[in-house]
Amino acid sequence: MAATRSRSKLLWDVISYVVLVGLAFIAIAPIVWTFLTSLKFEEDIVTRTMQYIPSRITFENYVKLWNQSGYPVLVINSLIVTTTTVLLCLLTGTVAAYAFSRFQFKGRTQLMLGYLVVRMFPAVLMIIPLFIIMRQVGLLDSTIGLAIAYTSFLLPLFVWMLKGFFDAAPKELESAARIDGTTRLGAMFMVVIPIARNGLLATCVFVAIAAWNEFLFALMLTTSQGSRTWPVGLQLMVGEFQLPWGMLAAGGMISILPVIVLFAIVQRAMVAGLTAGAVKG
Amino acid sequence: MVEARISYPPPLTLWDRINPVRMIGELSETRYWMYLLLIPSALLITAVVIYPTLYGMQMSFREMRLNRPDLGTGWVGLKHYQRMLTDPIFWVSLRNTAVWVTSAIALEFLIGLIAALALNRNLPGSKVLAVLILLPYFLPNVVAGHMWALMLDPRLGVINDLLVKIGWLEGYKAWFADPSTAMAAAIVVEAWHSFPFFTLLILAGLKGIPSDLYKAADIDGAGPFAQLRLITLPMLKTIIAAAVILRVIGLVNSPDLLLILTSGGPGRSTQVLSLYAFQTAYKDFNFGYAGALSVVMFILLMGFAWAYVRLSKVNED
Repeated sequence: MAATRSRSKLLWDVISYVVLVGLAFIAIAPIVWTFLTSLKFEEDIVTRTMQYIPSRITFENYVKLWNQSGYPVLVINSLIVTTTTVLLCLLTGTVAAYAFSRFQFKGRTQLMLGYLVVRMFPAVLMIIPLFIIMRQVGLLDSTIGLAIAYTSFLLPLFVWMLKGFFDAAPKELESAARIDGTTRLGAMFMVVIPIARNGLLATCVFVAIAAWNEFLFALMLTTSQGSRTWPVGLQLMVGEFQLPWGMLAAGGMISILPVIVLFAIVQRAMVAGLTAGAVKG
Repeated sequence: MVEARISYPPPLTLWDRINPVRMIGELSETRYWMYLLLIPSALLITAVVIYPTLYGMQMSFREMRLNRPDLGTGWVGLKHYQRMLTDPIFWVSLRNTAVWVTSAIALEFLIGLIAALALNRNLPGSKVLAVLILLPYFLPNVVAGHMWALMLDPRLGVINDLLVKIGWLEGYKAWFADPSTAMAAAIVVEAWHSFPFFTLLILAGLKGIPSDLYKAADIDGAGPFAQLRLITLPMLKTIIAAAVILRVIGLVNSPDLLLILTSGGPGRSTQVLSLYAFQTAYKDFNFGYAGALSVVMFILLMGFAWAYVRLSKVNED
């Protein structure tokens, strides 16, 4: 009996490994293939016989993309938009998450549900009026305007995720500080936020990745090179100049590099935060 | 005791009176504090979500065409909604949306569940594998789309080459140019991109299931599939429901991936509702009709969420 159980456990362990390795392969194969393509000469990409391992390697695609296509400007714009979005979320969202986590008050549940429901509003329905409003107040085609638009779907997410981290921070230290005469304001900034700093970092990274990746709002709300972000720039290059595959692959690799690095650094805290919010929600 | 009573706090200095930190600190002791904390985010959300959405809804009852200013922006009542009833593209889009959302989510759920169950065994090395498996979810749509477009390309796609080599295909196939395969190919890309979302949530749910349940089931002689059906899935019901709803919202609302892969073509074979609304607004500049399409999409989504929550609640009782 015990022997059959341990044998069946071994069997399932083996199956699990096969499944996990297979899925991991499927998950990263497109990334690896894009990377390999970005290192090939264009004539090696469009050749009749498929080269699985590049026979010769070049960095020309990266150099050309960086020097000839205005890609640096796109990346800088994306950096500005991403930073501004994270700052807006930090400034307004941190205190809101703290309020939801620490206080019981009238309308709390309804308001929290409201923050969840706004995510259901169709992006297209919001973008058209946002386009009109932004044009009226002169924020159309600006990095600030785009960052403000991003808070529409990222701020509710930020608040929910961070609330989960605040919930997990023990309340005793805060109470101790309060007894010592610290104000609520002091307790929030000197005790709770420092305790939850890993969660705060993870939440910021999650919002940053989403802002960095965003395509639809950026496509609609930016119209010139001055504020265009990289996803829109890359997409337009494909459409307008028949971007060679090698350069497109290079652009993709440059753009996802920050995402991969950030994800690898904070993935554990981020996964915990995402799931904490979801389990309770 | 008496001495303690008469020790007053020192008088406030001028700096104390105007020191902003002290003033906010004092404010934080009032009972309005939590509302003050909520005001900034509530104002921002009102400005960028609530107001634009209401604006968009009233827009759907107006004539609003950017390329026809001569028509003005007058009130047209239900004209756009009536047009929808006889608009064949609307009905095609509605059907495609249903196919797109159900197939993609079924696939994502299945792969996500299998990955989560395997990861939850905490085998050595599964942490590294988890990072690799979760990675696609964090990649941008634009890059995900082009990576797969490259691999499925009719002239130089590596997937075509592999399928030909193992004999499943006669020759290279133009997956996105053939109306019979375009939707299926897009669904594969979407499933690859978002199955980690289900893995993530289900994995979190699995951690919350007490291990006693499985021990008891072991003693009763329940096999792994019985345990999955009788313990794991029922215990995960809430989290699966939440994951499905969030994913449905995401998929119905965002036309990004299809916009990048196919723009709704070939023909109308991958035209979904969100993409149709988007193109009505930004290709035809018919904001009124695009607004009406979005409102209908929103109502359908709300109806779905409501029915889905009701159904999963009913099953619980």
